[in-house]
Amino acid sequence: MSNARAAVILATFLGGLLSGTVIYAVTDKGTEANPYASLPRLEEPAVTAEIARAIAADDARALSNQLDMEVLQQLKTAIEPLADIRSMKFVGAVESKGRVLAAYVAGGRTEDGTDILRGFVLTLTGDQIVGVN
Amino acid sequence: MLGLNLLPPLVRTGMAMLIVGGLLGYVGTATATTLVADSGLLGGGGESNDAHKYMMAFVQRESESLSRLGPARDVVSRALQQQNVSQQQQAADVKPLSVTYLGGGSSGRISVAIYAVEVQASGGQYQFFPIALTIVGGKVVRVE
Repeated sequence: MSNARAAVILATFLGGLLSGTVIYAVTDKGTEANPYASLPRLEEPAVTAEIARAIAADDARALSNQLDMEVLQQLKTAIEPLADIRSMKFVGAVESKGRVLAAYVAGGRTEDGTDILRGFVLTLTGDQIVGVN
Repeated sequence: MLGLNLLPPLVRTGMAMLIVGGLLGYVGTATATTLVADSGLLGGGGESNDAHKYMMAFVQRESESLSRLGPARDVVSRALQQQNVSQQQQAADVKPLSVTYLGGGSSGRISVAIYAVEVQASGGQYQFFPIALTIVGGKVVRVE
């Protein structure tokens, strides 16, 4: 194969690559804009960070010291069916009228060994966790 | 076949390269765009299009869109969902005040998106609550 022939083939391939990219860019609609207002995001609250650390460290004693029975029950429901939590990630927090919602994503395994993700939100009033969804 | 044999070999090879390059460019860009959008590397917070559409349908109470974006269900379940939504619409004229995407995560085909929603009912009752969506393969399979 001559150099000129190889160059033509390479050029058409690169031209195709560029065309494909341009066609995608033109036809992709992307995520539509949010028509509603958005609340400003907060840093991770210290109280919820402690809870997240206790969950990630598999520290039942710390959790039982920090949360009352009702909130613990809500947390249990929120993370079900996770049986073995292997990762905890803070994803964001917002505040409105004195209530803070701090969101987390927990990753791990169910009892039958399936890898899953569960999202849950700790609701904070002042320095007290008052609920989990 | 299709008269392609009439074309010179160089032209045939060039056309094949153009098509292969085009497909690779399209699929590669789509994959890269989705990965970057879901990771939130370039702003947008990593909100997926599926989660966004579901949330908009949820706050606007569009039962048809919710059925379409949710998991495949039987006809009776879909009818029950539509009835549920229309009863809620009659019970209260709810006005969404804000919808904030808090963030999410993904692992394989599973992704989680979490939102905070502020609404005001016609009686002036204010509510501020979170919603966590679990999405598998582009369908919202769990809403909490």
